[in-house]
Amino acid sequence: MNLFLKDIDNEKLVTWDYLIDDINNTSIYNPYCKSADYYSVFKHIILSLLIDEEIILLDSDFTESELINLTGRSDYIEFNMPIEKYNASSVSNQRELLEKLSNSSKKWRITLFTSGTTGIPKKVSHDFKSITRFVKVSERNEKSIWGFAYNPTHMAGIQVFFQALLNGNSIVRLFGLDTKDIYTEITNNGITHISATPTFYRLLLPCNETFPSVERITSGGEKFNEKTFKQLNQVFPNAKITNVYASTEAGTLFASQNDIFSVRPEYESLIHIENNELLIHRSLMGSTGTNVDEWYNTGDVIEIVSQKPLKFRFVNRKSEMINVGGYKVNPLEVEEAILTLSGINNVRVYSKSNSVLGNIICCEVVTNSSQITESSVRTFLQSKIQEFKIPRIIRFVDELTTTRTGKLKRN
Amino acid sequence: MNERILEIMNTVLENRTKEKLTSITPEMHLRNDIGFDSLDLAELTVRIEAEYDIDIFEDGIVNTVGEILKKLESKYESFSQRY
Repeated sequence: MNLFLKDIDNEKLVTWDYLIDDINNTSIYNPYCKSADYYSVFKHIILSLLIDEEIILLDSDFTESELINLTGRSDYIEFNMPIEKYNASSVSNQRELLEKLSNSSKKWRITLFTSGTTGIPKKVSHDFKSITRFVKVSERNEKSIWGFAYNPTHMAGIQVFFQALLNGNSIVRLFGLDTKDIYTEITNNGITHISATPTFYRLLLPCNETFPSVERITSGGEKFNEKTFKQLNQVFPNAKITNVYASTEAGTLFASQNDIFSVRPEYESLIHIENNELLIHRSLMGSTGTNVDEWYNTGDVIEIVSQKPLKFRFVNRKSEMINVGGYKVNPLEVEEAILTLSGINNVRVYSKSNSVLGNIICCEVVTNSSQITESSVRTFLQSKIQEFKIPRIIRFVDELTTTRTGKLKRN
Repeated sequence: MNERILEIMNTVLENRTKEKLTSITPEMHLRNDIGFDSLDLAELTVRIEAEYDIDIFEDGIVNTVGEILKKLESKYESFSQRY
């Protein structure tokens, strides 16, 4: 059996043959893709490539008001279109499918949404070349079995998906499972590769067992501490552990074995450092719908370790975005959502460092209504914004006293 | 202390509109039995720290209610020995 996807949470066990049959028998396509089922999302992406149509990925937990903000609507049925030409040249096996995928996609684009810096999440589109820039297709990768540990509609998840897809690999869902199920899935399926946020790995630890099948552990999105690194080495004794630097705008850019990133010579001319901030050339970026300058400010402050070859280390972020377990949260977006609740006079969202998620979202609220409680604010927000954006600690104050980084405001 | 930890856990559950607990036992697993996800665990650690001044996840993730109680007890024991 040649496994394409195993997702125990959605009770899916799908072979490549089943996937191919299913694709050949699909007659309707809709560019908008919003599903909590990993298989539907993956099939949707493959289908979009085969028929060379744009695909727009929406998080399955986007609320109705988020959908309206992002796309101007929350119902996409009218975008259904029949699949015509494609059926005439349907694929018969995995090899043919992979060949077609690698050669397709002239006008194909994949669009996703990222927390923008202005309060409104922004749209980022990539073409096939930019989304697969770091995919390595080789004989050595043919036998890889991927533990899938990201949200499938986010940049990191899409990149892992393409790495696995174009090598004809098996994908086993790990994201969102209980720790014991994650370990069972690793063992039962002989998972060889895992790419995840440090928070995902942190939640797997401590563990007294070892998992020798894993050859490669990749981490990114937030800083990895030395202790987690050592524990992971013990749990996965045969794994090479790599850190990557990636963003929704540009995808994976740099990789390192520790916290020092080296820049490959071919990219040296495409990155630039200004006031210690990392700038990347627009040729490395997906398109954001707005006019971008030649250089894009990443908001990441770096420290140069050596000039030739160029090596650097990330120090912190210049922007106000809060990294919650690898998810970027824009405090302005959260403040705007809270202010739509009547009875709220003022709000300040800030982050607090946290041993589980790196940072958590907190807020101070000024209200003169006795109806407003921590749980009423939280319940209200559940229909407005995604769960990871909702403040976990809400303080009621007479006037705002903290800055967004959680420091006391000095007057 | 158990009662207070139960109250804190219920605050976290209530805030997520999840079902509250009537009692806790040391062997209860935070994720598998109580149903906390990583966001809840993050909130739990902040709420416990605010009251007991100890970050229960500082040295890695704890898995059961008993492990939390042990961390809190050991801190308070060493405190009473010193003073």
